Amino acid sequence: MTTNNGRDFYQEFEVFSSKSNGDQVQHQFSLLAPNEEIALVMAQENFMRRQPVADIWVVKRSNVRKMTQEEKESLQRLDNKEYRTTKGYGYLKKKWRHYEQNILDEKEILSWGGDEKQ
Amino acid sequence: MSTTLSYDRLSEEEKHAHFMERIEKGDKIEADDWMPDDYRMTLIKLISMHGISEIMGALPEKEWVPKAPSLRRKLGIMAKVQDEMGHGQLLLRVAEDLMKPLGKTREEIMQDLFRGDLKFHNVFHMPAPTWGDAGLIGWLVDGAAIITQTNMLKASYGPYARALKRICAEEVFHAQHGEAIIMALAEGTEEQRPLIQDAIDRWWESLLMFFGPASASTTGASKQDTTIKYRIRTKTNEELRQDFLDKYIPRVLSLGLTIPDETLHYDKEKGQWVYRQPDWKKFKEIVRNNGPKSKDRLDLRITAYENNAWVREALSPDGAVV
Repeated sequence: MTTNNGRDFYQEFEVFSSKSNGDQVQHQFSLLAPNEEIALVMAQENFMRRQPVADIWVVKRSNVRKMTQEEKESLQRLDNKEYRTTKGYGYLKKKWRHYEQNILDEKEILSWGGDEKQ
Repeated sequence: MSTTLSYDRLSEEEKHAHFMERIEKGDKIEADDWMPDDYRMTLIKLISMHGISEIMGALPEKEWVPKAPSLRRKLGIMAKVQDEMGHGQLLLRVAEDLMKPLGKTREEIMQDLFRGDLKFHNVFHMPAPTWGDAGLIGWLVDGAAIITQTNMLKASYGPYARALKRICAEEVFHAQHGEAIIMALAEGTEEQRPLIQDAIDRWWESLLMFFGPASASTTGASKQDTTIKYRIRTKTNEELRQDFLDKYIPRVLSLGLTIPDETLHYDKEKGQWVYRQPDWKKFKEIVRNNGPKSKDRLDLRITAYENNAWVREALSPDGAVV
């Protein structure tokens, strides 16, 4: 039987999923499938046989604009960005101690979202 | 930024030097990155063989799905066979992306396999006549596979390392699945116990062959130096075989089983196991698809491919119906 199932049959899909409701979606891997619907079924069979999963996305690879090697290497940051991070202001801890106050660091500030009244 | 490289302006030697610098500092190479041709070709050979071996390796075990002794065992071995197919899918994707610049696709991988140009792992050419063999494959063949696969978890090629991370996580289940079958037989009736000993006697030589010859001088070909140079793996075939013997010989003996090699012993001074060499001439025949079950398993794969052709045809975007 002659078939055209060779070169044209498969398309490349990138698979993304999130573990649980509310979780961010992460890239998993790629797969070959003839269309989106089968790509979804294959994604579940290939990558989510046992781990918990709440959502799956499949994206045709041709719709993903990836970076070239040159572009990726240009992303490497210079390491003198301390003024953008708390690391550049670490001396405040000592200063506040002098005034008998605690520093409002990331751990402290992000704990303020809780419902309980302090 | 001044550190940005303009690839177009680099000579081949400069690209190669930059590449080696990257892998030596632990950078991961991705599919579209520049890589030397022999790195690409070595990876294609290694990973397409690994991927197709996962699929061919499911065949001796799948024979035992309908014959498993209980419903629980049937579910267990079915899940394992399905995992092997899943691993094959993952690895073939990695190989296909590497082959893309050469104009090759999954179709060529399948045709290469059918023609005998693409080899599958030497251990999957052997028969699995009893339930003892099914257990032994899960326990010791998977054990050997875990040793070689974990050795490449830090491979310089990112997509392969990521695939192996997924695969090795599932191999932990495979190892325990095999142990559960073996344990039940080892603690079983007088008819059950010999099933494992017979399986060990049948598989011992194959288990030694699993890791390949110690050097190219044994069989005339070995890719291990290239794969170590390019940081795809870290240990030699012999080091992996010794790791396997270290881990598994005490476990085999603890169950009151024996190993069919009266010369086998641990040389404390050298810190390694001394064992009778397997018949490497037989190994060469097996990898040429002249093993006891090579033809049967290839025929099974070809028949499955042909029987499923209508599905591919029905779903083809061109919709051509013969």
